[in-house]
Amino acid sequence: MMKKLVALTLALALVLGLVGTMAAEPAVGGELIYGSTTEISGDWAHTAIWTNNASDNMIRGLMNDYATVSFDQGGAMVMNQSTTESIESVVNENGTKTYTVKIAEDLVFNDGTPITAEHYVASILLFSHPSLIELGSKSVAHLTYVGGDSYSKGDSMVFSGVRLLDTYSYSLTVNADKVPYFYDLSYASLSPLSIDMWLGEAYSVHDFGEGAYLVGGKMDVDTLTPKVERARFLSEGRVTAGPYNLVSYDTGAKQAVLEINPNYKGNFEGQKPSVQKIIIVKAEQETQMDALKTGAINLLDTMTGGVDINAAMDIVEAPEGGFDYVSFERNGYGKLMFQCDFGPTQFKAVRHSIAHLLDRPEFANTFTQGYGALVHGPYGLAMWMYKESEEQFNQELNTYPYSLADAQKLLEDDGWVLDAQGNAWTSGLRYKEVTAEEAGEYKHNVTVGGKVLMPLIIEWSSSEGNAVSELLVTMLANNPDVTAAGMEIRQNVMTFDELLNWMYRDKTVGDQYGVPTYGMYNLATNFTPIYDMSYNWTRDPEMVAQGYNVNYLFDEDLDQLSMDMVYGVDSSEPEKYRELWADYIIRWNDLLPEVPLYSNVYYTVFVDKLKGYEQSSLWDFEQAILYSWIEE
Amino acid sequence: MGKYVLKRLVYIIIVFLVLSLLMYMLYNLIPTDPARAELEPMRPSLKPDEYQELYLKLRADLGLDDPMLVRYARWIGFAPEKDGKLNGLFQGNFGYSNLYKKDVRLVIADPMAITVFMNIFATILALGITIPLGIKTAVKKHSLLDKSVQVFSIVGYSIPIFIVSLVFIYLFAVLLPIFPVMGTKTPGSTFTGLRAFTDRLYYLALPLIVMTFASLGGMTRYVRAAMIDALSMDYVRTARAKGVREKAVIYSHAWRNALLPVVTVVIGWFLSIFSGSVVIENTFSINGMGKLYIDGLNNNDYELVLAMQMFYTIISLVGILLTDLSYGLVDPRVRVNK
Repeated sequence: MMKKLVALTLALALVLGLVGTMAAEPAVGGELIYGSTTEISGDWAHTAIWTNNASDNMIRGLMNDYATVSFDQGGAMVMNQSTTESIESVVNENGTKTYTVKIAEDLVFNDGTPITAEHYVASILLFSHPSLIELGSKSVAHLTYVGGDSYSKGDSMVFSGVRLLDTYSYSLTVNADKVPYFYDLSYASLSPLSIDMWLGEAYSVHDFGEGAYLVGGKMDVDTLTPKVERARFLSEGRVTAGPYNLVSYDTGAKQAVLEINPNYKGNFEGQKPSVQKIIIVKAEQETQMDALKTGAINLLDTMTGGVDINAAMDIVEAPEGGFDYVSFERNGYGKLMFQCDFGPTQFKAVRHSIAHLLDRPEFANTFTQGYGALVHGPYGLAMWMYKESEEQFNQELNTYPYSLADAQKLLEDDGWVLDAQGNAWTSGLRYKEVTAEEAGEYKHNVTVGGKVLMPLIIEWSSSEGNAVSELLVTMLANNPDVTAAGMEIRQNVMTFDELLNWMYRDKTVGDQYGVPTYGMYNLATNFTPIYDMSYNWTRDPEMVAQGYNVNYLFDEDLDQLSMDMVYGVDSSEPEKYRELWADYIIRWNDLLPEVPLYSNVYYTVFVDKLKGYEQSSLWDFEQAILYSWIEE
Repeated sequence: MGKYVLKRLVYIIIVFLVLSLLMYMLYNLIPTDPARAELEPMRPSLKPDEYQELYLKLRADLGLDDPMLVRYARWIGFAPEKDGKLNGLFQGNFGYSNLYKKDVRLVIADPMAITVFMNIFATILALGITIPLGIKTAVKKHSLLDKSVQVFSIVGYSIPIFIVSLVFIYLFAVLLPIFPVMGTKTPGSTFTGLRAFTDRLYYLALPLIVMTFASLGGMTRYVRAAMIDALSMDYVRTARAKGVREKAVIYSHAWRNALLPVVTVVIGWFLSIFSGSVVIENTFSINGMGKLYIDGLNNNDYELVLAMQMFYTIISLVGILLTDLSYGLVDPRVRVNK
């Protein structure tokens, strides 16, 4: 009797457990109208080969997710377990490194045709082909792999560093100068491409041991132009491999409709989507809240700015309900950027004093209307490196609190103790006696009694119609404490393009831009999951001329740290990477080539029938939607 | 007549060439580097060698290192491209959109279709209301109807269309959910034929109402003024004295003569069916010519913008010729017979 009771109880528990499991599995169905703030171009090439706008990239992400390497929720690079069985690497005697990738044998495109290694290799062969480069392909993969240079120039028919080993394996050999590299897993990453759709059924990939190459037909520009044009913009019957299929794209209405790909195996964690249909429409800032309220849009992604967020929160908090939201920190920040090789901003003390003369917490709060945070270096609050270094940063980073006294002391200690006549400074504009090298060609310098005096005038380049600039005028340029400190900040309003000309000192646009003129710029920056700042602090004059190190800060330590962080560490050493990263941030914070002003908190607002939606600045809509479902 | 038209056509070609040169120069004098601007968003994800290769290639593709006159000659179709072939505006190549990465001709096709669709309805609606209303208010000058129309038309004329759009959206899409807030079709719909046509009309109804409302004031007042002038003429008094029916006086005698100033505006309206409304299209998220134009300007897509401007130049020049010729049709006194 007891045995029967136990058996019955166990059976009941099993049934209940099964029912519970079934109930927890979200049902597939429903539709979601996504309001996109950027235009859809209709170019569906599976990466940003031609166009690079946010909406296109998001739709590409929904349609293509069979890369061999993915990013996880924290932005870390991982092998895609669904598509890839193994990635092995070996350093060759000549310093090159070969990655051998074995893909899963059960992968299929959305039309059910099998995916083999040939399809992975075809993508790099096609987009690096000289004819495709002629047709505007922005692929630069050929610069990374052995033989890419001669292949892309048409000197060789085969791409020697790309090998098709067997039906499910390929290898990629990376040039010696590209390794070691902390993000080297990215070198093993390829995405499958439908050769039939892009080139035609006659084409295939061959490899007789010298490298892979495309065969089956002509590969000249005239032959490829119509094929490529068709494949780029093909909407119906598009062969892809990702969670969603593009069902239709209305070029007139600029609406894209995507539905679940039943042949999708899952993302890097095996996750499959549950929201059956996603419709992407264009949202306009002026009417997007009305569109959300009336159901014309179900989700507004990554909203920024207090006005919009407050309006969205009014909708979320309205008594009738029906809406939900997620908020997340931006992986980037707005900033004051200094050029540090001329004028007053070449002196660290001046940069520090400017930071002390701006009430940054108040600035961030005012500008973002409460939807912002403050950072003290070039990092985002969502980065895993930051999270693991937070305690260290709390102790070691200078937050440059608002203080006129600190600013004045810094300036005095640095020699800004004279007036225009060379006498001791009491009030007005401060001057500093500078060497000929420090003086440079700075236009405000004066010569008194054979001494060159540099006035504390900061020439600031600010882009027109910019709310940050307007607030900076109020809180910094017109701040009485700036005058009291003996400093003058002169705003120069210009278009953003012109600002870039000055920043890059681009003489191709006009000789005047080659002359260092503005020491301070207000800009913004965003980080990608690959945090690679190498060459950003280069001291190589040729690279500087190419537009690297736009801060013109030539600090050996910073340069070395930025290089070592990625090129001195292998991907198997994340802690070593983090340590170098933290050292880099601390050094940067001391040199202060930029003053971070604010880091936004973004909001994504959506109808509350969408459940399980979690987003961050490293985990975008196209990734987050796979874990969500519609509950009608 | 034929000789006059031919002479005007020659003028059109000359004016077109001069304008094309001026506009091309103007856009190319803007101190910007289109290659750098295009690559700027990609810079954080590119290594220096990758960036440099792309940058140099883009500069070469865009012909930025060639003299401006050579670039102009290629663009207009007077000088051969690098492949030795003439392939410019005069050969039917409207250029290449750097923003959309495809031929301008293909970029323009859909927005043009939507803009023309909207403007045809807006023009017919506006003229259908304003002309009878203008005539009526002129005939019933200083009546209650006239005064009311005067007040409403000045209000409609004075309020910026942007405000009108937002107010109408709030009233007719949010408060009274009669029309959709934005777009040109039901999201995700695959309607065809008549159903697609009615669906589009439903989505475009609110912007059309706004466009009509905004244009009522100006045109009504214009027609009213022309009719008041005509009605005060001696020939109208004579016709009435002769006992001609009032309808005949108004429509055959007065309206015919009032038509001359009105026809200029009406032809202008019909010609403007090719040009989109920046404000309306942006507010209602309509993929039309106005929106395309602004997007092109904001993204330094000068070949796209230039092609559109050249198209509007031709339309305007031809429009002026048509207006001049139509004067002759309306008023035999200015007909060209030589």
